[in-house]
Amino acid sequence: MSSVREKVLEQYSSRVYKNRKEHVIAIGEHEKDVVTANTRAIPGIITQRGCCFAGCKGVVLGPIKDAAIIVHGPIGCAYYSWGTRRHKAVADEKNGEKADCYLEYCFSTDMQESDIVFGGEKKLKKAIEEVVGLIHPKCIFICSTCPVGLIGDDIHAVAKWAQEEYEIKCIAFSCEGYKGVSQSAGHHIANNQLIRYIIGTGDHQPEKKYSVNVLGEYNIGGDGWEVEKILKRCGIEVVSVFTGSGSYRDIKNAHTASLNLVQCHRSINYVADMMKDKYGMDWIKVNFIGIESCKKSLRDIGEYFGDEELKARIEAVIADEEDAIRDEVEYYESKLKGKTAALYVGGSRSHHYQLLLKDFGISTVLAGYEFAHRDDYEGREVIPDIKPDADSKNIESIEVEADPKFYRVYMTDEQKAALEEKGVKINYYEGMFKGMDEGAIICDDLNHFETEEFMKILKPDIFFSGIKDKFVAQKSGMLSRQLHSYDYSGPYAGFRGAVNFGRDLVMGLYTPAWSYVKAPWKDTPCIEGTLGGDEAC
Amino acid sequence: MKTKVSSLVNLNTNPCKMCMPMGAVTALYGIKKCMSILHGSQGCSTYIRRHMATHYNEPVDIASSSLTEQGTVYGGEKNLLQGLKNLITLYEPEVIGVATTCLAETIGEDIKRMIEKFYDQNPGYENITIIPINSAGYGGTQFEGYFKALYAIVSQVKMKQEKHNRINVITSGISPADTRYLKRIFQLFELDVILLPDLADNLDGAYKKSYSRLPSGGTSIEDIQQMAGAKYTLFLSNMEPEKSPAGYLYEQYGVPYERIELPVGLRAVDRFYDLLAKISGKPIPEEIKEMRGRYLDGMIDAHKYNGDGRAVIYGEPDFVVSTTRLCVENGVMPVAAATGSVCSQLENLIKEDIDLLAKRYLIERYEIVQDTDFKNIEELAQTCQANLMIGNSDGRRIEEGLNIPLVRRGFPIHDRVGGQRLRMLGYEGSLNFLDEITNAILARKETGFREELYNTYYKEKMEDKMEEVKKDVPKTGAAFTKEEMEEKTKTHPCYNCGAHSHARMHLPVAPRCNIQCNYCVRKFDCPNESRPGVTTKVLTPEEAFEKYKVIKEKVPNLSVVGIAGPGDALANFEETKRTLELIREYDKDVTFCLSTNGLMLPMYAEELVRLGVSHVTVTLNAIDPKIGAKIYKHVNYMGVRFTDESAAAVLLSNQLIGLKLLVERGVICKINIVTLKGINDHHIPAIVEKMKEIGCYITNIMPFIPVEGSVFEHNPVASNKEINKLRIQCGQTMKQMFHCKQCRADAIGTLEDDLSLQFRGCGGKEKTEGTSKALRFAVASKSGMFTDQHFGQVSELYIYEYKEGRPVFLEKRKIDKYCAGSDECGQGEDKISKIIKVIGDCNGVIAMRIGESPKEKLKEKGILVLATYDRIEDAVTMASNKLLS
Repeated sequence: MSSVREKVLEQYSSRVYKNRKEHVIAIGEHEKDVVTANTRAIPGIITQRGCCFAGCKGVVLGPIKDAAIIVHGPIGCAYYSWGTRRHKAVADEKNGEKADCYLEYCFSTDMQESDIVFGGEKKLKKAIEEVVGLIHPKCIFICSTCPVGLIGDDIHAVAKWAQEEYEIKCIAFSCEGYKGVSQSAGHHIANNQLIRYIIGTGDHQPEKKYSVNVLGEYNIGGDGWEVEKILKRCGIEVVSVFTGSGSYRDIKNAHTASLNLVQCHRSINYVADMMKDKYGMDWIKVNFIGIESCKKSLRDIGEYFGDEELKARIEAVIADEEDAIRDEVEYYESKLKGKTAALYVGGSRSHHYQLLLKDFGISTVLAGYEFAHRDDYEGREVIPDIKPDADSKNIESIEVEADPKFYRVYMTDEQKAALEEKGVKINYYEGMFKGMDEGAIICDDLNHFETEEFMKILKPDIFFSGIKDKFVAQKSGMLSRQLHSYDYSGPYAGFRGAVNFGRDLVMGLYTPAWSYVKAPWKDTPCIEGTLGGDEAC
Repeated sequence: MKTKVSSLVNLNTNPCKMCMPMGAVTALYGIKKCMSILHGSQGCSTYIRRHMATHYNEPVDIASSSLTEQGTVYGGEKNLLQGLKNLITLYEPEVIGVATTCLAETIGEDIKRMIEKFYDQNPGYENITIIPINSAGYGGTQFEGYFKALYAIVSQVKMKQEKHNRINVITSGISPADTRYLKRIFQLFELDVILLPDLADNLDGAYKKSYSRLPSGGTSIEDIQQMAGAKYTLFLSNMEPEKSPAGYLYEQYGVPYERIELPVGLRAVDRFYDLLAKISGKPIPEEIKEMRGRYLDGMIDAHKYNGDGRAVIYGEPDFVVSTTRLCVENGVMPVAAATGSVCSQLENLIKEDIDLLAKRYLIERYEIVQDTDFKNIEELAQTCQANLMIGNSDGRRIEEGLNIPLVRRGFPIHDRVGGQRLRMLGYEGSLNFLDEITNAILARKETGFREELYNTYYKEKMEDKMEEVKKDVPKTGAAFTKEEMEEKTKTHPCYNCGAHSHARMHLPVAPRCNIQCNYCVRKFDCPNESRPGVTTKVLTPEEAFEKYKVIKEKVPNLSVVGIAGPGDALANFEETKRTLELIREYDKDVTFCLSTNGLMLPMYAEELVRLGVSHVTVTLNAIDPKIGAKIYKHVNYMGVRFTDESAAAVLLSNQLIGLKLLVERGVICKINIVTLKGINDHHIPAIVEKMKEIGCYITNIMPFIPVEGSVFEHNPVASNKEINKLRIQCGQTMKQMFHCKQCRADAIGTLEDDLSLQFRGCGGKEKTEGTSKALRFAVASKSGMFTDQHFGQVSELYIYEYKEGRPVFLEKRKIDKYCAGSDECGQGEDKISKIIKVIGDCNGVIAMRIGESPKEKLKEKGILVLATYDRIEDAVTMASNKLLS
């Protein structure tokens, strides 16, 4: 398999080759699978990565429905991050407190040349005044774009001013696009401010005995709602979700839950870690994508709380959910078994979806992350070995201290050891590599060129990616499914979500459209590669 | 008509524009074997690629110099040079466009110099044309960015000046499908053209065996180099950009050019073909003439539907101009034309066209706006009563929210497929576009007209007939005897001081108003406001009837039903009529009264009498149009908007005619006069004289209540003393009302006890029983409906009691009234202490927000503080539950 890797990389200049070979590996090729990740993208290669602003405003903050997010900067960034991610949310009421939904809004200070020259603080203040007058938000976030950091607008001072002036929560995020090497920096910046200013400021206590926060679930296509529904069926209260259909209203109470569930490790692990230090709350890595992984996640929660009644209820819910989907899953599996897939998404999904694909008998031949760190590939045990570089040092890493009022010890070390023995790992993520097939290609920060070359050689049946990279596959006769937006579909999480996913794949592979690619006056089909529809129409 | 509606100047809410780099890279996609690289953070490339790929359904490869924090300190030269090299190694382009971003421009990157350096360092690459484009995101929108790139292309590429016979064609942003159309037409006229840019294939390719990573279609660099030697440039654009690529070729190389509008709509396409015939020396081909005939045929087929269209057109300035003209030609009224770009030419380009249609259709209002956002566009769609929108898919939120169909055109279209294949150029493209517009109008009719038709023409007529058959015909005003009228007036609390024990109920069924008084902002009861949290409480006639029934049961002394707004009862005559009919059928003895500005009285007086309205109140503030002109901003009458003195004159003559008609038929008329200090206060006795002469029953001289945001917001207020003096003076002329409470449109109960808040949202459901203990709350509210005011900003507080499980409005307390004198409130005392003094008897305070220090002070006094934004009665209930639990 390593020859595959060489075939692609040898086309680079020696300088680029030297850089990229560290990011591209084949599983099992060396004694230890080690990858380089979270380093700068190479200029001029068409990386699929976004910027710090995208990670902060687009990913982590964007879904918080009751916060009015003002993008401080010229118009582009606000426009491009407006409604482009399918994080769904509705306004609702909980514990007698309403959370409005402002996700349809896009607020920008629309800075002009003169603002760049003379500074934009005044305009920002006025914009806040106008937002307050317009929608009376309880919480305002200010997100800065590239020029703001350069011209020195003090958005944090403005936030402080607004907080006093309007007696609302107002938090500034210095998430200028040039910071860090990818979206990842933006996640971290968002995480820092959430723990600094929001978590722990509420005082509503959960009503049920067992309560959790769902971290790193962005409710794409309704995933989070499906997860929350299952947890509720099991009798577990969801205090807050970070951040899909999430709210300032709920997140401020996050510290009152008993356990953190981490879905997307990359984007939210900082909050999980800091809450561990500050409140003593443990976290467990869950994955609600995939039938088997969903079952494992639920059972882990049961084991953590160690309540037999809860465990029994979880088993009953699992049995019920599985019963409802069994026939459909069996049919889809019969159509999908033996297919191969390549995945290139985000910092978690490329791992999560491998497990769902496995449920349908699909194997993964290539997987890569856009912006993950080494621990997302190799497991958290590698963290002490990661050397911080100049770019990661630029992103503030905050230390929190145990909160005298709320710090609790949830479990003794013995109890933890007993859980470990049962296979429930606390405050740990194993990464993507473990469980992957030998020879599978790993490609960190996959670019346009490599995508094309690898697809030519590996010819997977399905390529999972985002909108920017999907056409390379689609135009060469390969099924493409978008795992950022789900192509208007979803939910894919939970048990029912697995059925949606299976249906979408079968529909995609077996559409009659594929069978017409060869025109009657041509000898060869106009595309190469294996076509899905084996039942020609 | 105004050219800018921009209430929020510092906040762009839902942008109707993108940034310059977007336009620049779009133009570059029309160049053969060209790659572009954005000099800045990699997010710019990623975001723009995402937006373009979703619209065009094609791979979009845009490189980035991936500047990091280090780059912002030391400059991005290293990254750009390396990026260029990598791009060339991997993609082997012949042309590279280097476009700057906000970041690069803010740190002042000199990309021209860097490109020179790149050539110096890499001797093998001189055949590759690298074009620098300065496109700061804050310098303009994608519209400007597009032309900036074209200008950079013609001005930076090394030109060959040998003369030849080819023709340059430069276009503003059009779709790939329209580009293919243009190319076909040039072939038809046997014109050898150099088309810049040529998006035909690169952004709408055919399915091919292998994916070519380098755009293989588009204008070749050889062709671009020939542009300087062309015999002529045809510039297809509705406006001359600040830096015109055609202008440059003329100034620099003497290539003459003609700019004509984009060939959209009959007139423009005619001109286009006419010009092509002239340039080519060839007659217009038969197939084009036939196509013109077919388009005309289509226009005529559709005209009978198009007249119903009231369109909001938005997008890039060029798009707005073309679409507006096409709409006007076809009788679709553009009630609003809006662009997010700053474009002062826009109004001149389309005003004449729209004016023409507006005059023919008697449409009083339309708007042309530039530099706007979707928040304003949404407001325009509502206020101009649009039933159609035309523009990119960013209008989808308004489409969903207001249920106005959206015809998708322009860029981007993200929620439908095929945006790259949409046509609007030529007869064919115009016809496609027109068909879609007409069909959107038809689809709306098809799904809604049966019910509307039935309700408007059939249902009510049938009921009329039934009434005729009925034996017990309800009495009409004219049929009331004098004694009956006297009795009705006696029991009417608004007409008789002694009638306080009789309850009246106002039903808010009339949302619209046809005049604008300078003292009024119908902000909170205006259904045109649809901000989150502000709900309108206007009832449908059926709901109003339900409410009436429920309240009649609970308040047996209810003897009067009135329609008083929130707009004007007669500006909403269908609703008013239906409401009164329903109630009359249920209760034959009820007294109907109605408040109006009188504008529509001559038209409806007869019918009001027939409906059994016995009392009509007309607000009449002047009998001299000169004075009236100061009070009324405009009057919309029979489809025409009047302003100034003509507005006041129209209103006044209608008021006087209407009143005469009513008085002749025995209807009791009351005249409300708002006392506006310095405007009509001296004039009031004259008004009263006139009213006496006409035969009105009573006049009600009222104080003026300043409303925030109204023209008269800061006008002086007449004191109670002054008002009473006027009343006494005028009392010598005719009967005066001394007890007016200036009730709201939905007031219920006797004047002493406004019960309406108890019955809000009333479908007749029983409230849960609460405790008998009465709690008292002070509520900070601007609107009287929501707890929407900051505690520190109140000038008056609404006092509510919560008893027997219900919030009941008690009274309003003015802060300044209580704290007017310095003996009562000490000099140094702050406002908060004054407020606390006023509400010392309350158990709690409810406000939208409240500061820490007043909160503490209130707590010290044992007063509960609740900060919430909610309906008042909900908030009071919530607070009571807190206290009681």
